[in-house]
Amino acid sequence: MELPFVQLVVNGLAMGVVYVLLASGFNLIISTPKILFIAYGEFYMLGAYILWSLVNELEFPFLVALCLAILATAILGGIVYRLIFQRIAGHFMAIIVAAIGLMMLMSQAIMLGFGTESKSMASVFTGMINIGGIRISIERAVLIMLTLAVLVGLHLFLQKTKFGRAMRAVSFNADVAALQGVNSNMTNLATMVLGCALAGFAGGIMTPVFAIHPTMGAITFVVLLVVMLGGIGSMVGAIVAGLVLGVTLSFGQYSIGGGVAQILFFLVVGIIIFFRPGGILGQPAEEMVP
Amino acid sequence: MDNLRKKWYLSPSRINIRSGKVIGLVVLAIILLLVPVVVRSPYHMHLLIMVGINAVLAMAFIFLLRTGLITLAIAAFWGIGAYASALLAVRLGLPFWLALPASALITAIIAFCVGYLFVRNPGFGFIILTIAFGMAIVLVFGTFDFFGGYVGIINIPRPEPITIPFLAPIEFSRVSKTAYYYLMLFLVLIVVLAFYAFYASSAGRAWRAIGLSPRLAESLGVNLFKYRLTAFIISSTAAGLMGSFYAHYMESLVPNAFNVLKTIYAHVYAILGGIGFAISGPVVGALIMTISPELLREFKEFEPIFTGLLLILLVLFLPNGLLGLISSRRPVRPSESIARVGKWIRASLPVSSSGREDKK
Repeated sequence: MELPFVQLVVNGLAMGVVYVLLASGFNLIISTPKILFIAYGEFYMLGAYILWSLVNELEFPFLVALCLAILATAILGGIVYRLIFQRIAGHFMAIIVAAIGLMMLMSQAIMLGFGTESKSMASVFTGMINIGGIRISIERAVLIMLTLAVLVGLHLFLQKTKFGRAMRAVSFNADVAALQGVNSNMTNLATMVLGCALAGFAGGIMTPVFAIHPTMGAITFVVLLVVMLGGIGSMVGAIVAGLVLGVTLSFGQYSIGGGVAQILFFLVVGIIIFFRPGGILGQPAEEMVP
Repeated sequence: MDNLRKKWYLSPSRINIRSGKVIGLVVLAIILLLVPVVVRSPYHMHLLIMVGINAVLAMAFIFLLRTGLITLAIAAFWGIGAYASALLAVRLGLPFWLALPASALITAIIAFCVGYLFVRNPGFGFIILTIAFGMAIVLVFGTFDFFGGYVGIINIPRPEPITIPFLAPIEFSRVSKTAYYYLMLFLVLIVVLAFYAFYASSAGRAWRAIGLSPRLAESLGVNLFKYRLTAFIISSTAAGLMGSFYAHYMESLVPNAFNVLKTIYAHVYAILGGIGFAISGPVVGALIMTISPELLREFKEFEPIFTGLLLILLVLFLPNGLLGLISSRRPVRPSESIARVGKWIRASLPVSSSGREDKK
């Protein structure tokens, strides 16, 4: 029974990297512009649908379509920030409500635009590779590798470039950052654009592997859980929690059924949060301050 | 606080009863009682009953919001109340009149256990945990056969007829929903009176203090965790009570009726009415949002788009809600205006600093 085991791990990692990408983008948006962006899953779905329609209807090459999908979600993220979230910056409840409204609007618009049935597309990378008797589909390996590359790039961007430093400074303290000459509003806008681009990327690369359907925006809620488990704002925590969730769900669906596996995961998250309120790798949240 | 805690029920009420208000309330009561005489169609009665349920859910949301906690698990506790009542009635054969308080009690116990875990993480943590709970509860209802799976529970008995000596027994029938309507009014009245009493009590003052400034309240000796947990239990129990009524009114339950989207709609009702108005806001919001989609039945698939757009526009241009437009009372407490709620919650982020002032 070795084959199912390895396949389950690879399937789990492939789903897990999608969670990791989304959780990383979500972490960016929650820590720099301080937006609890509930509509994030809709951007992921939008990326997937744009890629699907470009490749299937207009017959674009996969990579071009991927770039266009990322561009579209990034631009939409910027527009949404300028039109809505910039005006209510700092008003926590208002931000959540606006994000909820955006979520309802976008998910229903996509459902009306593309229909309710789920869609799938032909694989881009076909074939299997054979490593020591273990067969892995190239598609999933490429998905995992591509995500890894993006995550490394994101890490380098945040740590080494001037812009990444500005983003971290604004997330630490916007006023002090402004005193140092950082335009915090532009930084917030850029973070929003980057975060939404990550969502578009995640949606784009998962389309050839998994089917897409108009309720997949609900992934936001799972991403919230991943973010919570890894610790709000913690990039490493997001990676660990996302991969753990992916592999757990993959094994759970195989052995005890998807529903029970998800409930178990919720339970485990509850227990971990009880003992470590800030998540595995995060700092425990401070009490609110007036 | 020791003084306050001992005899909170004896503390003077803050409700100012003026004669104008009394006349207004009496007129309102007469109108509400006479509605079944005017509205004959069962379908319209159904809508009005749903308005009552939705209004209570929105009130429960505002109740907890006043203590600085934004919950997304209102529908989950509504569902817990509904399932508890339905299971008690179907599996154990309990009459509705026993199942109603029993299910409220069960909801309260579950709210205590869950709240004990959740309330320790104010701010983002609480929101995310309540979202997770709201999703998990739908999964639990749907996965286990004990709860009927995704098919749900059917054949939930109606409330038993009330027998009053010398009068015909009051039957609960699906055809004319008058009895259900009056029962709904009665339950909403209980919840409203209970909420008024809590707002007026010293516990209510402590909650207001927490809503104003948690840190200051804590420094004055208010036990944040305890008071917030109490508020969580009370608001969840109110939702559970309406859940029990909903189960016996609909006579069947499906898990997906209790998902996070329903909670979001509860938020919409509260915000549309104005979250500075703890009782009247939810009623106005629920009335508009429950009736208006029925008027636009041809565009039913566009309804979420309208609602989403409405939410965004409300937040941007009408942060005090509809009642904020006509009321002369300006929201003074930070917890009473959507524009001002949670400047303090933002500070609960691990990465932010506490000293940041708002620019607006």
